[in-house]
Amino acid sequence: MTKYVKYVDVTKCDGCRACMVACKNWNDLPAEPTEFLGSAQSHAKTTADTWNVLQYIEHENGKGNLEYLFRHSSCFHCTDAACEKVCPENAISYTKYGTVVIDQDTCVGCGYCTQNCPFEVISLKEYKDKNGKEYRKAHKCTMCTDRIDEGLQPACVTTCHTGAMEFGDKDAMIQKAEQRVKEIKDRYPNAMVYNPQGVGGTHSVYVLAEKPSVYGLPDNPKVPTSAVLWKDYAQPIGKAMIGATTMAVVGAFVANKIFSKKANGHDEDGGGNHE
Amino acid sequence: MIKSVVSKEYQELQKEIIKLQEKWKLQLDPETIRPNLDKAAMEAGVPVAALTAIDFEISLFLQWVEEINALIIKSIPELEPKLAGIASLLNEEIAINWIEEAFAFNHLYFASFAEENGLEEWIPQFLAETALRPYLQLTAEKVQNEIHRAVPGAGCPVCGEPVRLAALEDEGKKVIHCPRCLAHWHAKRLECSHCGNENHKTVQFLTIEGDSVSQIQVCDECNGYIKIIDTRQYISQPSAALLDLNSIHLDFVAQENSYNVVGEKKQTN
Repeated sequence: MTKYVKYVDVTKCDGCRACMVACKNWNDLPAEPTEFLGSAQSHAKTTADTWNVLQYIEHENGKGNLEYLFRHSSCFHCTDAACEKVCPENAISYTKYGTVVIDQDTCVGCGYCTQNCPFEVISLKEYKDKNGKEYRKAHKCTMCTDRIDEGLQPACVTTCHTGAMEFGDKDAMIQKAEQRVKEIKDRYPNAMVYNPQGVGGTHSVYVLAEKPSVYGLPDNPKVPTSAVLWKDYAQPIGKAMIGATTMAVVGAFVANKIFSKKANGHDEDGGGNHE
Repeated sequence: MIKSVVSKEYQELQKEIIKLQEKWKLQLDPETIRPNLDKAAMEAGVPVAALTAIDFEISLFLQWVEEINALIIKSIPELEPKLAGIASLLNEEIAINWIEEAFAFNHLYFASFAEENGLEEWIPQFLAETALRPYLQLTAEKVQNEIHRAVPGAGCPVCGEPVRLAALEDEGKKVIHCPRCLAHWHAKRLECSHCGNENHKTVQFLTIEGDSVSQIQVCDECNGYIKIIDTRQYISQPSAALLDLNSIHLDFVAQENSYNVVGEKKQTN
């Protein structure tokens, strides 16, 4: 199956926030009114009801001039996703397109994914059931996997009027990103393709105008070692242990049966002797 | 992949037919098609194909009909008894008739041909039309650069097929695609392709709940409609013929709302 990549060229973004609106619209997410945060940015980061946030960054460039940088921020859809690794219920999985999605029915709201995401894009949402009992579910961008299923591009990409976002075949998009970085090197000497290999590459590939740290992104995000330990070692060993203990219990039961029979027999014999 | 009311099997069959037509088109020598681009005639709405001299190769046409037959039988084996007799019916003379009548879209001829030969009604015209299209498509390809707009009501400027499908491209440009010859041309966003009506009060748009890419443009002056598909949202661009097929639900909706494939100006007394 073709793997798709969402290509985001932040140097073409004019900060119109139509992607945020398109996302809310398609995914039927409620508005989240916020207080003034000191800049034009509406939300500090992505939340359970706001799956993509447009970052507005005031940055002093090498020449001492102000650069006003915009970035469409949402889930990166990592190839090796930490959230998928830590989920104890296997509620998070990869689709055939390379996107990472959460199964809301299986999610128990433990929050491990929110603590382990290197980009901090997953959040928990609190719900109340009809008895007033509170429960939580993890939410994040799905890359509009339901649209991809129908052969359509993600809602944010479709709405982007400057052509800052494109959607297509993984290799073609990465090539486009590399080509674009070459074109803008004069204007943005620190420009780079952000497709971090520490998480096996991502399915949202960025052309950044500045170093990742300027955008608050990790330079070299990794799947946390604890997550690898958990999913690749602890869980299989745990499952093996369940097997081992079960075997032990069954073994003990059988052994007990045999021995207790013998013991009974002995008792009876003993009883007979006594009489 | 795109969800459609059309069954997967039929979509696959159509895809195969389109592939065959592509292959056949490449077998044709472009020199056998000599369009005569008469400006005055084109402005009056005469389709280019009618002004074009085409040297049809009858043996090739017969071979194509056989190939379609084989393809249909492979895909729908139940049809074999209905299609088996066609090869023996066809000869050079009939092939020439088929080409001419398919060109003129003379469904009466094909209906009577089917009746005379005990065939199901759809068979002769379907085969003739499918085998004719490579010629029309090559003609459209040759003259595409000269096709800028169409005369409202005259249909496709290349093959004369009634206008029924438009795609939104680039910044929302409305481009009409002919699913028959694959020609395409630009149209005004607010204009009825059937009667040329530009009144925003009578040109309306119907949308389908849950279908984010399609709309039906209807005209209350002539009661005609066309389907408009926002193909910018698609990951890969489907061919106009498949787009037309997969959006057939829009035709049902439009026709149920009493709009027609071809608009007719109301007679004023």
